[in-house]
Amino acid sequence: MNLLPLVLYAAAGVAYAIHFARRSPQAGRVATTVLILAALVHTFVIGMQTMEVGHVPFANPSRAISTFVWLLTLSYLYLEITTDERAMGVFIIPVLIGLQTIPALSPGAEARDPILDSPWFWVHVSSLLFAYASLALAAVLGLTYIVQFKEIKKKHLGYFYTRLPSLQTLDFMNARAIAVGWLFLTIGLVSGAVWAAQARAVVPDDPNLQAMSSLVDPKILFAVFAWAVYSFAVLARRTMGWSGRRTARLSVFGFAIVLLNLVPISYFVTTSHTF
Amino acid sequence: MHLFLVGVSHRTAPVELREKLDFSSRDVGAAVEVLVTRSSAAESVVLSTCNRSEIYIASTDAEQARQEIVAFLSEYHQLPRDAFMPHLFAHRDMAAARHLFRVAAGLDSLVIGEPQILGQVKEAFQAAAERHCTGPLLTKTFQWAFGVGKRVRTETGLGEGAVSVSFAAVALARKIFGRLEGRRVLVVGAGEISALTAQHLRSQGVEEIVITSRTAAHADALAAQVSGRTVPWAQMRRAIAGADIVLTATGSQRPIITREDVQAVTGRRRTEPLFIIDVAVPRDVDPSVSEIEQVFLYNVDDLQGIVQENLERRGAEIAQAEAIVAEEVARFTVWQRSRRAIPTVVALRQRFDDIRRAELQRLEPRLSGLPADARARVEDVTRLIVEKLLLEPTEQLKALPDEETQAAYTEAVNRLFRLGDAESLEASAPEAEPTDRPREN
Repeated sequence: MNLLPLVLYAAAGVAYAIHFARRSPQAGRVATTVLILAALVHTFVIGMQTMEVGHVPFANPSRAISTFVWLLTLSYLYLEITTDERAMGVFIIPVLIGLQTIPALSPGAEARDPILDSPWFWVHVSSLLFAYASLALAAVLGLTYIVQFKEIKKKHLGYFYTRLPSLQTLDFMNARAIAVGWLFLTIGLVSGAVWAAQARAVVPDDPNLQAMSSLVDPKILFAVFAWAVYSFAVLARRTMGWSGRRTARLSVFGFAIVLLNLVPISYFVTTSHTF
Repeated sequence: MHLFLVGVSHRTAPVELREKLDFSSRDVGAAVEVLVTRSSAAESVVLSTCNRSEIYIASTDAEQARQEIVAFLSEYHQLPRDAFMPHLFAHRDMAAARHLFRVAAGLDSLVIGEPQILGQVKEAFQAAAERHCTGPLLTKTFQWAFGVGKRVRTETGLGEGAVSVSFAAVALARKIFGRLEGRRVLVVGAGEISALTAQHLRSQGVEEIVITSRTAAHADALAAQVSGRTVPWAQMRRAIAGADIVLTATGSQRPIITREDVQAVTGRRRTEPLFIIDVAVPRDVDPSVSEIEQVFLYNVDDLQGIVQENLERRGAEIAQAEAIVAEEVARFTVWQRSRRAIPTVVALRQRFDDIRRAELQRLEPRLSGLPADARARVEDVTRLIVEKLLLEPTEQLKALPDEETQAAYTEAVNRLFRLGDAESLEASAPEAEPTDRPREN
């Protein structure tokens, strides 16, 4: 079921690449249209899964990734439509394609544990996924900022210079994406803690919950670490006037942690916190 | 009807002569009117810029039109013919259309791909249209040219990239700061390039231009020119702190802005970028200033390098632009040919309709007894039969592949249906034209 969105994302990716390389407005319009179509199909897929299990599918790593890809697509489309700037698509879509491959290849069954039937849990997972989507955007914006900064600084106005939006625009979009991401990251962590405390009160002997109780859980550890990085980015911008390349670097670094947390740790390291 | 073009351009005439043949300083509309009223030209457009004066006309007799234009040029500009005859170029029909398409695309400009020319072509056409001096042929040709200009601009990089030092500096500033509204500029030294660049920056909406110069009078003059304000020379270093863009162009033999000067103020600027444009030779800004993280330092060689690269990039786009022009000329030719078939088509229709009417007339005594709606139906049916009979021949006549075949077919149709000679029919050709290309402007 997750294969069709993947195919459409790939098609959109090709169109964005053509748009970027040839600076062809028609290719850009095609790219946006295909991406909107992909988002609609993906919405349908997630809607079906929601009806099937009774809530938005995320209690399983591969489905959570699918939901994350969907949110990232929506966030990107929002950014593209509000700024009328298509140049970032070529950097975002590969992320979508790469991540969507996982749910497309291993669908996984949605676990239905009564412990998970809590509004806190729902808030926890959905805000974190949304935060990650936002932070992914910030990372891509940061990366392109760094690339273009280097080109202008080195007076080597090459391939990206003629195609990317201005440094100021990239910085502004990056700041907004970090702020939104940080906010939802905070909500996600707090609601997760509240949910874990409540669940532990209900089922005190659950070994999974025991493992979550401390910072020993690598998932929590990394999430808190990422949160610290982004908190610093937000704070540094507000109080120390950090902007431009420094926050761009922070956003790339922060997202590397998030990505590490989202994929390898979910699959291979953690034993309890399975998504 | 033929399209005809006579003119001079920077390729054929020196500036002294172009100045003498310039229409833009006088009323172009009036010139066009004179042309149409006093010559055999049915339509006329005069395109006059500092690089060209071109007269486009639609006329049935090309040779006569050419002589009339020469006479007009001589009379209007009060110049002996010998003064400009060797520099004139002339094209007719497709060659004239091709020339106009290339001009509109910016391919014939002094600076290839410069953006103003398309607007100038539009204005020239507008001026003629306002005086009712344009007709179907020139309207179609010029509108087609606007389309070509637009296509070349959107589909190729012919007009991309700044090709002057001051525009290159502004383009860089926009790449760093995005929109320049609200940005502050410090101009150090009031020379020619700094005046030009400051003007471009002003037109981009910068909030404030601060000018300082060793010679206060120069600073005052430039401040008046770009509506900026001046600060004393002694406060130059402090003024850097308040600026986003610093432009230096003094005649100093030694650097006047050192790394320490900039470092002292970048602490206060935190991480906001500072763009320093040093157009002075020798340089005004110590090159090591560029090592400061948030500083982008460009000197005149860097900017000239960008200009050179842009020119080369434009050069690489020429082939693609020429291909678009060639493609459009081919399409235009097809349209033209279909247009030339129109007199024959009209005559053929007329002939068929005459026969239809004659037959109805002959049957009138028998038809008069019919009720009104039945009569109307007879009228409709006969008309439809004629139209259907003519549909395919009309399409075929319009789509003939070349002029020779077209002449042969026209001749055959004329003979088969006794349509009389085509020349006399052309004069009665209707003004309505088939539109196979949407208006793009």
